[in-house]
Amino acid sequence: MAEKRITVRATRFDPAKDKAPRLQSYDIPFADESMVVLDALNHIKAHVDGSLSYRWSCRMGICGSCGMMVNGVPKLTCNAFLRDYWPRSITVEPLNNFPIVRDLVIDMEDFMHKLKSIKPWIIRKQEYPLGAGEHRQTMDQIDEFRQFSECINCMLCYAACPVYGLNNEFLGPAATALARRYNLDSRDQGIKERLPVLANSEGVWECSFVGECSVVCPKGVDPAKAIQQTKLDTTMRFVLPYGNRED
Amino acid sequence: MKAADSTHPLPRVYKPEMQRGWWLRQRHYFLYIIREFTALPMALWLLWLLYEIQRASNGPKGYYPPSSAAFIAFSIIVLAFALYHSYTFLSLAGVIIHIKGVQSWLIVLSQFAAWLVASAVIAAVLIGFAR
Repeated sequence: MAEKRITVRATRFDPAKDKAPRLQSYDIPFADESMVVLDALNHIKAHVDGSLSYRWSCRMGICGSCGMMVNGVPKLTCNAFLRDYWPRSITVEPLNNFPIVRDLVIDMEDFMHKLKSIKPWIIRKQEYPLGAGEHRQTMDQIDEFRQFSECINCMLCYAACPVYGLNNEFLGPAATALARRYNLDSRDQGIKERLPVLANSEGVWECSFVGECSVVCPKGVDPAKAIQQTKLDTTMRFVLPYGNRED
Repeated sequence: MKAADSTHPLPRVYKPEMQRGWWLRQRHYFLYIIREFTALPMALWLLWLLYEIQRASNGPKGYYPPSSAAFIAFSIIVLAFALYHSYTFLSLAGVIIHIKGVQSWLIVLSQFAAWLVASAVIAAVLIGFAR
């Protein structure tokens, strides 16, 4: 029986030689049904062209490193099965809306800066000494923010967001979801430090609710929900008497 | 970040630009653009309404509402846009409004019910005035 094969077209870009990225085709064996797009890329790198560059690490949808555009849709390549595309060819490109460093590798500097700007850590007005014990939470309090803490910073939501594509100043989905995660945490007291970033014109108000960020999220986080709820929260704090009081 | 210098220049990156037809690439983006676009004809129709109110300010004598086929067709199209915009807007209420212990579908249902009641009240008032 003839060996099953699949065509993978991958973006190639060498900043030292190329003016613009181009697609290169590779015909590779589709050895077993459990193969994912990342396996295909690893096969190309190991057996066909060792110069192909891309990011990956855990291979199990946890680290968020291997996000790429697969046939035009942002996907974790470790979670995109070849069987779902075969016998069609697969086109693998770097994540949309980010500068390309080389081949399938994007420059994530802007995202890292935005992530840091919302202070994604627990902020206390006054830290207690460790000996005073832990900050206890009920299950209900954890459920308030649990969904938003599932984000793995894979940036698929930024690749799916046309608002970010058109205006890179936009804070974006994942950073807002993470800000919401901490703002909803009963142990956190840092909402006033995050509000200047969240509520400015490039923050949540830039979002016009396309909703695709939530569709592509591989972890079931709903960044669109986080953004809209933050809009409502910031409005209430502005409109209601004592809405902007110290919590 | 360190500034680039001649001995250690920063690596060159390629900055792709969004294509003009990005919103035609997939159904979700297309529906989003349609949703956003509906605001434009609605705004035009509302501007016309303000103009008509100003025209009718001298009382019913000498006021003739526009009745051309083109205007009626435009109004029907705007009504369809308004209904679509309202439907999409109210459907999103379940995502935006967060009330502890209340299911999101119930929130959406309550918004549609409120819309229905408000429409019935406004229709009754308008019909009442027209008589």
